[in-house]
Amino acid sequence: MTAPVFAVVGHPNKGKSSVVATLSQNDAIAIALEPGTTRQRQEYPLTVDGKTLYTLVDTPGFQRPRRVLEWLEAHSISASDRAETVKAFIIQHRDDGGFTDECELLTPLTEGAGIIYVVDGSVPYSAQHEAEMTILRWTGRPSLALINSIGEDDYSDTWAQALGQFFQVVRKFDAVSAPFEQHLSLLRAFGQLEPDWERPLEQATDFLLAQRRQRRTEAAAKIARTLEEMMSFREKRTLTTLQTSEMSDEELARQLRTSWYHNQRKREQQLRIAIEKLYEHHRIERQEAELEWHSEHDLFSEDSRKAWGVNRRYLATAGFGAGAVGGAGVDALTLGHSLGAGALVGGLIGAAGSYFYGDRLTLPVLNTGVLTNGLRTAVFGPVQDSQFGYVVLGRAINHWWHISHRNHAGRELLDLAPADNHWLEHLDRVNRQVIHRALERCRKQGALDDKTRFALAAAIEQAMSAYDDWLLNRT
Amino acid sequence: MPDSAIRRLLEFDHQVQRDRDQSAAFLHRRDRRFALESREKGLSPGPELWLQHIRRLRPPLPTDDPLRQWRHLTTGFALVGLVTGVMAMLGLLFYDGGQRINLTVILAFVLLQCLLAAITTVQAFAGWQPWRWLLRKFSLTGSSSALRPLQPMLMARAAHAGGLMFGLAGLLTLLVLVVIQDLAFGWSTTLDTGSDSYYRLLATLATPWQNLWPAAVPDRDLVDATRFFRSNDRGNADPALWGRWWPFVAMVWSTYVILPRLVLLALAVVHPGLRARRELASHPGMIALQYRMETPALDTGNRHNDAGDQPDTNTSGQLHSLPAGQVLIRWAGAGEPELPDALSAGYRDILAAGGNASLEDDHRIIRQAGQVLAATPNPAVLVVTRSWEPPTGELADFLGEARKAWPATTLIALVPLAAEPDQPPPEHQVSQWLRFADRCGDSHIVVSTPDLASQEARIHRALQHEHRQ
Repeated sequence: MTAPVFAVVGHPNKGKSSVVATLSQNDAIAIALEPGTTRQRQEYPLTVDGKTLYTLVDTPGFQRPRRVLEWLEAHSISASDRAETVKAFIIQHRDDGGFTDECELLTPLTEGAGIIYVVDGSVPYSAQHEAEMTILRWTGRPSLALINSIGEDDYSDTWAQALGQFFQVVRKFDAVSAPFEQHLSLLRAFGQLEPDWERPLEQATDFLLAQRRQRRTEAAAKIARTLEEMMSFREKRTLTTLQTSEMSDEELARQLRTSWYHNQRKREQQLRIAIEKLYEHHRIERQEAELEWHSEHDLFSEDSRKAWGVNRRYLATAGFGAGAVGGAGVDALTLGHSLGAGALVGGLIGAAGSYFYGDRLTLPVLNTGVLTNGLRTAVFGPVQDSQFGYVVLGRAINHWWHISHRNHAGRELLDLAPADNHWLEHLDRVNRQVIHRALERCRKQGALDDKTRFALAAAIEQAMSAYDDWLLNRT
Repeated sequence: MPDSAIRRLLEFDHQVQRDRDQSAAFLHRRDRRFALESREKGLSPGPELWLQHIRRLRPPLPTDDPLRQWRHLTTGFALVGLVTGVMAMLGLLFYDGGQRINLTVILAFVLLQCLLAAITTVQAFAGWQPWRWLLRKFSLTGSSSALRPLQPMLMARAAHAGGLMFGLAGLLTLLVLVVIQDLAFGWSTTLDTGSDSYYRLLATLATPWQNLWPAAVPDRDLVDATRFFRSNDRGNADPALWGRWWPFVAMVWSTYVILPRLVLLALAVVHPGLRARRELASHPGMIALQYRMETPALDTGNRHNDAGDQPDTNTSGQLHSLPAGQVLIRWAGAGEPELPDALSAGYRDILAAGGNASLEDDHRIIRQAGQVLAATPNPAVLVVTRSWEPPTGELADFLGEARKAWPATTLIALVPLAAEPDQPPPEHQVSQWLRFADRCGDSHIVVSTPDLASQEARIHRALQHEHRQ
């Protein structure tokens, strides 16, 4: 059984390439507000282990539909020879420069492709499209019409009525903003065009769903890794006696602080790029300047802390759990003879510490070692409190959310507006504590062990869901 | 190779670090393909096969043994053990002819060695690393974090190797001293211990070798005879008896210093390998690799890249003021149901072409307009279009035909209208018409937009119309 092929056809400039870009997760397809941007048909197969499940074909738009229709009508005797006549048209005109676009778009249809006819639902319906739709009907192929809205106005109802007369299925699909569930739903609709196509399209949607889940898990692991590195990062410098005498402590602190900030920002940017690559968004890198947070929302700004940091109550509850786990170690050592007092006391200490000292973004301080063998080591970092971790986490999850919800047809700048900190309160207590404990451990002890790292990644994945829910309920 | 499991773990970890910056899609394709090929050959794709596969494809790496530093450390411990073993035994057997060598001291030292060996093993199993700061100082912790959990075991291996060499050197020193010197052993203790209990202790200690070497098991008479007291310089025993203790000492040393170290060293050699296998199985990279090998690789066909092939959207074309035309043609239904006020008056003919009209209709319109234009000194035609519908080949064909049929001086103004007739079209829509006019390569084809706001323009047009009449 051959895999189904779908030719995406239509009038020029109605978003055919956008639909293909979104469904094939390709942000490198040229999309421009200029007729004729797509000059040749281009195939985008979805394969699983090299086996193609379906192929999308992006095609140029109709340029001379009335001429084509005139030719077809002049060469056909009855409805039964229409598909043959379309083939004959292509054979006769494939070397004719006047019908290059028509030949390119009709060829896959004569070779068995299904029709995905794309119109712009944001402009009024126009009868001039009827010649195109008639030609498509002449091919006799299974067909689906997509109303893709490029602008703000909505004429989709009148389009739907008109398209319903020509196509088996009519769907609305905004290539730029349709959520992922709609992509899958659209693919399932493709499968409904022919009984033989249903199975590969079902398989394709299952694989795409699994891929999306896996991407979320990988994104969480990447965020966890970055958090760990940023929370435990130290900027070190070894100075000779001469250098020590030439440079004041203030100047040394300033230099190390600048370098520390630079490295933290760089690490955050690396995470951004890694998450974008994970979701096959390769071209957002070019918009890196736009990715930069406004200065008032800089990684280290007070505004960022206010936007992404967490409040005292949150810190106290998370701190209680983290302290309780430490205290439970005491209980374990006494073989339970302490009757859980260790966990209680540990929890209270953790909560109190987090409540009183957690709610401020304390920057790292300079530590200089003693002079040994004429050398002295100066260290700046790691960060002094876990609020920094929450700022990084909030910004990372916000960025992840935008990337994971961004369609590949979208070419607009990535706008990372800050949220407020209430989102983290949607996370359950156990996961809050896991995150808090990991942040504290990174800050105090550096690298995490594998078990804690796994737990942190899993908790961050839950935090992603919490953020998703929070945004859903907010809007 | 005893450390092959550790090397495999380190090589795997190294490869995972190298893959960190690779895209997830690439890694998935690579590893899934490897798994499928392995299964085709009837092989079960495991880490060893995977590493062989990766090794085959990458340029050879420098053959730097990652365990070299640990090997050096083990050798260092063994050398130190050798030297300290000799010195310790010399110290224990120091005899100047005036005092006996106290067996009790030797037994206590042996007990200490047993304790040290046990502590070393316990810390290896428990993962304690109280000496880690020292390793860090000598940069022995290694760059790979995968080695970190194995460090206690490797450290125990080095310590046991040192301990074994210590024991062997001690035994050898004992034997040499026995040959070259007349050693006088005895036993003494300040505690009020009788010969009986001391004998029972020694007999218990000698149990392991009592059948193997009976001469090395002390008898009660010897124990009684070789006790000495602090006040008694020479002791009571026959001097010939003092030397009879050496086989016992040699066996105590061999059994309680050398043998435990040997057994524990063997364990310490095997233990890191076993732990390395466990670490490899639970390595985050291994879990990810297994997922990639087991899950079909999905390719959404997104390799095609023509993003750099964008059309040039710059244009040198400028909007022209609306000419005073004689004919207005509504192209493809533009201006329906009604034209904007600025265009609704002043034309001899208002015609419709394109869109739903047949090609024959288009020819007729061209002829009809041509007749009007031929009778005019300054012929001009306005072709009203929908600004949002991009100019297509059909319009180009229509204009081409019209150009042939109409007087050569005819000015053709394309007038794109917005969806709301009283609003000017958006700039990006106008610019596609300017580019279209540019591509036509005809200076008599221009783009104009009506002055929708000005009433004067409408009055002016009406006056022109009257003048022509």
